[in-house]
Amino acid sequence: MRTEPAHVSRSPEEVDVIVVGSGISGGFAAKELTEAGLNVLLLERGFNLQHGAGYITEHLENWEFPARNSSGSRLHKEQYAIQSRTYAFAEHTEHFFINDKQSPYIEGDPFTWIRADIVGGRSLLWARQCYRWGPLDFEANARDGIGVDWPIRYPEIAPWYDHVESFAGITGQAEGLKQCPDGVFLPPMSMNWGEQRVREAIDAHFDDRLLTIGRAAILTQPHNGRAACHYCGPCYRGCSAGAYFSSLSATLPAAFATGRLTLMPECIVHSVIYDENKGRATGVRYIERQTGNMREVYARIIFLCASALGTTQIMLNSTSSRFPNGLANDSGALGHYLMDHHFQIGATGEIPGGEDRYFQGNRPNGIYIPRFRNISPQTRRGDYLRGFGYQGEATRPSWSRPVNGFGAEMKKVLRNPGKWEMFLEAFGEAMPRFDNYVTLDNSVTDAWGIPVLRIHCKWGENEFAMRKDMKQSAAEMLDAAGAKNIQMFDHYTEGGLGAEPGLGIHEMGTARMGRNPKTSVLNAHNQCHAVPNVFVTDGACMTSSACQNPSITYMALTARAAHYAASELKRLNL
Amino acid sequence: MDRRTALQHITILMGGTLSASTVAGVLGGCSAHQGETAFKPRKLSRGRDELVATLSELIIPETDTPGARVAKVHEFVDYMLADWYDKSEVEQFLSGLEDVEKRAKEYGVKSFTDLDMDVQVKILTQMENEAELWHASGEEGIVPFFQTIKSLTLLGYYTSEVGATQELRVNPMGEYKSDIPFSEVGRAWA
Repeated sequence: MRTEPAHVSRSPEEVDVIVVGSGISGGFAAKELTEAGLNVLLLERGFNLQHGAGYITEHLENWEFPARNSSGSRLHKEQYAIQSRTYAFAEHTEHFFINDKQSPYIEGDPFTWIRADIVGGRSLLWARQCYRWGPLDFEANARDGIGVDWPIRYPEIAPWYDHVESFAGITGQAEGLKQCPDGVFLPPMSMNWGEQRVREAIDAHFDDRLLTIGRAAILTQPHNGRAACHYCGPCYRGCSAGAYFSSLSATLPAAFATGRLTLMPECIVHSVIYDENKGRATGVRYIERQTGNMREVYARIIFLCASALGTTQIMLNSTSSRFPNGLANDSGALGHYLMDHHFQIGATGEIPGGEDRYFQGNRPNGIYIPRFRNISPQTRRGDYLRGFGYQGEATRPSWSRPVNGFGAEMKKVLRNPGKWEMFLEAFGEAMPRFDNYVTLDNSVTDAWGIPVLRIHCKWGENEFAMRKDMKQSAAEMLDAAGAKNIQMFDHYTEGGLGAEPGLGIHEMGTARMGRNPKTSVLNAHNQCHAVPNVFVTDGACMTSSACQNPSITYMALTARAAHYAASELKRLNL
Repeated sequence: MDRRTALQHITILMGGTLSASTVAGVLGGCSAHQGETAFKPRKLSRGRDELVATLSELIIPETDTPGARVAKVHEFVDYMLADWYDKSEVEQFLSGLEDVEKRAKEYGVKSFTDLDMDVQVKILTQMENEAELWHASGEEGIVPFFQTIKSLTLLGYYTSEVGATQELRVNPMGEYKSDIPFSEVGRAWA
């Protein structure tokens, strides 16, 4: 499926904008910039992938995979040692992930860096959850005196949330919460019997909490020429109906429709070219994946959307006498303040009753309990700052549940589903800390000779204090719902794997936005303070992490920055 | 199923008419099926392959639906041993099979597969009890073979076409119905 696409140009003329990376941020940048009338060259390190035809495992049954859709093979251990740590990696998706042996990095601390290596990037593989940040989140750093202040507030991003949600199509239920604002929603998906029971119990017992259906970039009705979800289940195999949002299903087709997009897969960006006389970036150097040859392309503006750490790696590798420590790195903040959401903690419990209730179809979405801590004077905690939300679902476990014995009796038991079981997993905000950082390690290079990242990242005191509450509050809500056999879980291990940073695949920070060029890399428009024609709109730009899944915020910031860049270019300010 | 029976079944299903092309298809299908029953294990010896098939059928026997043998769990196990597991995992599995044979020899037979089923069940029950004691002890080390063979059998069976469609049901795509009577399905989703 990795064929040469017809739309690839091997000798692009000088273009208006180079976008690096075709994931959620890069795809949106390409769409907005081409629609604004600009010619865009989109460089992607990964292999080309055709929407539809490239989804080679879509709708296969388990028995059509030799190991029944497992992970952990000899090949996986040898070539995908990091990638196979994520739930999304198995036989059905292995062809989308990066080869860890070819593209290594160094774990200064346990840190899982999950990467795709295809056109569309992780937009193919994401969990599709979309929660707006609220006013509280953009004020948090200033209020707590932590890190630097966000240079924007909620009203400045709200119209861009509207803009990207309207295009992407987000299913969800409006709830009127300030800390997790409603968006432009398609009809919500419905809750099963177990989830309805827990929702009722939370309504009855907790004034400050509610359980709502997940908000997700999945279509519950046809939208912008894409079909509604048919509930097959494993979205990350790719969806030829385009029922979930990805660059391949949504933004890239829109960008191609303008006639102003050139996509070049298998081009691994090495660095940004900086012209000291002009005080501007003039283009990028990239390595042709197959030949190893280095090439240069030039443009008036550059959008770096290579994912938080991918972008930061490129910037650190872009040195000049003006910027000896990495592009636009006057502040020394580049590479620092790495964050992720800490999770793999919560509780499960059996919901009594409902033996005669079941469900049909594979809903690719769960439930959400928005943040309820530190959102008001009444909910203030003395033991930690910020908060967390819960994701989860109720289900009736099938044959993989533990049942003792063997033989006809066991077979008979497993013929029926188990009791209703509720699963609640917390996702907590992590603090921006200088000593969570990445550097380039020039002693180790990838298969193309590019120095690799060395990553140092540990959870801090605030995260550990929050985790106690994340676990206990889950058990408390299950108890209120009358659950039996409540089991709290926490997969964190000191110095080991289980709940290590990065595993949340919400890595962010490392080129943060801020008001002051002395303490931040980017301004309020995701524009480098020191190099005005370079924009960074992926997770690298984040000043704090909030606790909501971040992709919809990357989309909104990207669209906002793209419109700003296009209008500045027209006014000849760039 | 032999050819004659297969043809009879098809004839009944199709109301007595049988075209030449259908006959060819059925004959082709049956010979392909016979080819498959002549499965040649790649990692297991003939004897060990039969041992795995026997153990898996004890774990998930034929009842009103087919068991693990018909679902070809032993072929799946051989695939995992040949193409999936690393050297130490393969060695652990093969030494687990050795241990089963050692237990069988105490009953004066050459192989576990020569024992009466009640003795086989007795040995497997003993192995399960030992596995539970091991878990209760909280000891580190190699997972007991009973747990390995049971897990592999469950995975191999319930993700097979036989296990997922005849014993259980495949949760269909189309629409999502969040709350329906269990009786509308009557089985667990595979």
